Amino acid sequence: MRVAIAEDSVLLREGLARLLGDAGCEVVAQCETGDDLIRKVNSHDPDVAIVDIRLPPTHNDEGLRAALEIREHHPSVGVLVLSQYVELGLAMRLLADSADGAGYLLKDRISDVGEFVGAVERVAAGGSAIDPIIVSTLLSRKRSDDPLAQLTPREREVLELMATGSSNQGIADALVITLRAVEKYVSSIFGKLGLPSTGTESRRVLAVLLYLRS
Amino acid sequence: MAASAPSRSIGRPTHQAPGLAVLWALAIAGFVATGVTVALALRSDHVTEPGLQAALLAWVSLPYVLGGLIAWRRRPDSRFGPLMVAAGFAMFVSSLQWASAALPYTVGLAFDLVPPALFIHVFLAFPSGRLERPVERAIVAAAYSAGFGVQLLKMALGGVGGDNLITIASEPSAALTIQKFQLITLSVLALAAVALLVARRRAGGRPLRRSVALLVDSFALALVMIAVLLLAGAFELVGAFETIRRVTFGVVGIAPVAFLIGLLDAKLARSSVGDLVVELDADPNPPELRDALARALGDPSLTLVYWLPEFDSWADLEGRPVALPEQDGARATTLIDRDGQHLAALLHNPSLRDEPELLDAVTAAAAIALENGRLHVELRARVEELRGSRQRVIEAGQHERRRLERNLHDGAQQRLIALSLELGRLEEQLGADPVARSSLDKARSEIALSLEELRDVARGIHPAVVSGHGLAVGLESLAARAPVPVRLDVGLDGRVDERVEVAAYYVVCESLANVGKHAQARSASVAVSRANGELVVEVVDDGVGGADSERGTGLRGLADRVEALGGRLRVWTPRGEGTRVRADIPCA
Repeated sequence: MRVAIAEDSVLLREGLARLLGDAGCEVVAQCETGDDLIRKVNSHDPDVAIVDIRLPPTHNDEGLRAALEIREHHPSVGVLVLSQYVELGLAMRLLADSADGAGYLLKDRISDVGEFVGAVERVAAGGSAIDPIIVSTLLSRKRSDDPLAQLTPREREVLELMATGSSNQGIADALVITLRAVEKYVSSIFGKLGLPSTGTESRRVLAVLLYLRS
Repeated sequence: MAASAPSRSIGRPTHQAPGLAVLWALAIAGFVATGVTVALALRSDHVTEPGLQAALLAWVSLPYVLGGLIAWRRRPDSRFGPLMVAAGFAMFVSSLQWASAALPYTVGLAFDLVPPALFIHVFLAFPSGRLERPVERAIVAAAYSAGFGVQLLKMALGGVGGDNLITIASEPSAALTIQKFQLITLSVLALAAVALLVARRRAGGRPLRRSVALLVDSFALALVMIAVLLLAGAFELVGAFETIRRVTFGVVGIAPVAFLIGLLDAKLARSSVGDLVVELDADPNPPELRDALARALGDPSLTLVYWLPEFDSWADLEGRPVALPEQDGARATTLIDRDGQHLAALLHNPSLRDEPELLDAVTAAAAIALENGRLHVELRARVEELRGSRQRVIEAGQHERRRLERNLHDGAQQRLIALSLELGRLEEQLGADPVARSSLDKARSEIALSLEELRDVARGIHPAVVSGHGLAVGLESLAARAPVPVRLDVGLDGRVDERVEVAAYYVVCESLANVGKHAQARSASVAVSRANGELVVEVVDDGVGGADSERGTGLRGLADRVEALGGRLRVWTPRGEGTRVRADIPCA
């Protein structure tokens, strides 16, 4: 897997590169600014770009703008945005109309190497990775008339994992249940929430997020 | 600043008007001189048509004397009156040349061409009586030299008849050449003066009243006729000369009459001062006072500014500091002083300077109102100053918070994340030693907790998401985390000023927190829109209302923030009917 990294903190950038190197990824570019990242994505065509949302010069939205530009012009390149805070509004801007090949994670997630590398690989392969905080914020959101109340605790767990971008296999592994059981839960959840069952796993991420957000 | 303000000051007159006795004496002298002139003409042995000549001379002298005396009385500060009187008497003196006796004849002859110089002087010196520009002084000085100095030289050479007392040689042809030069010079100077009058009138703007325009026109016409007359003399147009002379005298005599009409008209204009006094009775605020003054002075472009001694500055009616404009042709400044101190200043059409009495009367009538107005403006200036300092305090605070958040983000938070990354790698390299693994897990979860706490602290210090990504994005998370279901409606195109966004964010944040703490609401709504240059933020809940002032400390802080940006925060909280918080914040 070929990775490009844009992160202005040297400590983190190099730590990230080592971590990914240890996991067998090839880090093809490291840079500090969004513009530089776009240039390097153009020339190296990586599988995935990891972008800090706050980049020089102003540390406002340069990282997000670079991520959106790569998503627009290089649909084959996965984009994983890292941030010290996760904001629902930013997740929605990043995903816009598709969660394919897109990720948005709290930087803290780096500490669980297995999970983190799994998320990078998922995004590189066109899947998605949404921070659990976003999903739990959405799930805990108060609703006046709440269909989520009809879900069993198990179904709720499956919904959470599904919304963060986990594949059915990932959900099965995480909950230690069979793939068949997961598929059953998923169709039951879609039925209770009144959502049409969708094709790919990343497409259902967006559907679930949009449902939870409304 | 005050010292450099180029202007006319209105305060106590600096010159006293001459006593009535003096003026009457001069008037009587004028009549006596007229009598003497008539007698001289009738008795003269060398004047043809003596009656007509005497009448013409009286026409261009007595009105100048009388008009000048009235002007002197009315405008003791102006030298225009005395100048007119002098011009009239100079005319009388020149008529002494009709005498048969040698001495008066000589004196009269010496003064023969002084009146043209004096008329040039009088007309250029209107209305202050002073020649304000070097070019004017040069023209007048040259005119006196030509009219009097060269005249003496000409007489010494025996020109214009040999009977005068100062003839020392008889060089008639030289004298004639000199006379030609003299007359042409004088007529050129008169035409130059006309050019100056025209230029001045163009630069000074349209006179506000027709009588003033008429007066300046009569000056110019008189000077043109004088120039024509002098040229007719120089080129010895014997046939036409006498006719031109009569017409010229007739025209020159119109000027003081026009001046008297102007005075009468000014007096009528001053009846507007009466209206002003009535309007001032209603204790007008500064803008109304300005309007009233503009009407009374007949100058819609009038600007009123006040001197604020405590701020050591001029201020407009809103209390904002302004500088007096440089004196140029376009605007004139009149300072209004009280007890030796500046009180206010009027910036007006320069042609108002032709009517000093009107300015004096209007400003005198408005004195009390102007003093009151200054208090108003001073108060506004203080409010303005306070608002500015509050804004600076809040901005400084916000700047500091932003810096702190940034330091946390780039410092402690970044290091903790790097640390947890290293721990993660360490874990990968660690074998299956359960004790080591559990210690590592514990360390990692400690770091995770610290990071979470730091995140909350940082967010409390400054909403970085708002500075980075705008109000809409920031509000989305706020609404999602709110204690009750929130309907969010953000009608914003793009970004507005970050200070405004942050203030609006805090309004929503604090209001939603209050909803959770006090309102017992089932739902709330947040609406943000932009209308008429203002960002309008409204947070409404369906709770119990009746918010007490105890929960107002947070709201007070919000109000400070909003008001420092020139906005307004209002809270409606009728008991049992929910609470509505609305902020209107200007965002140009």
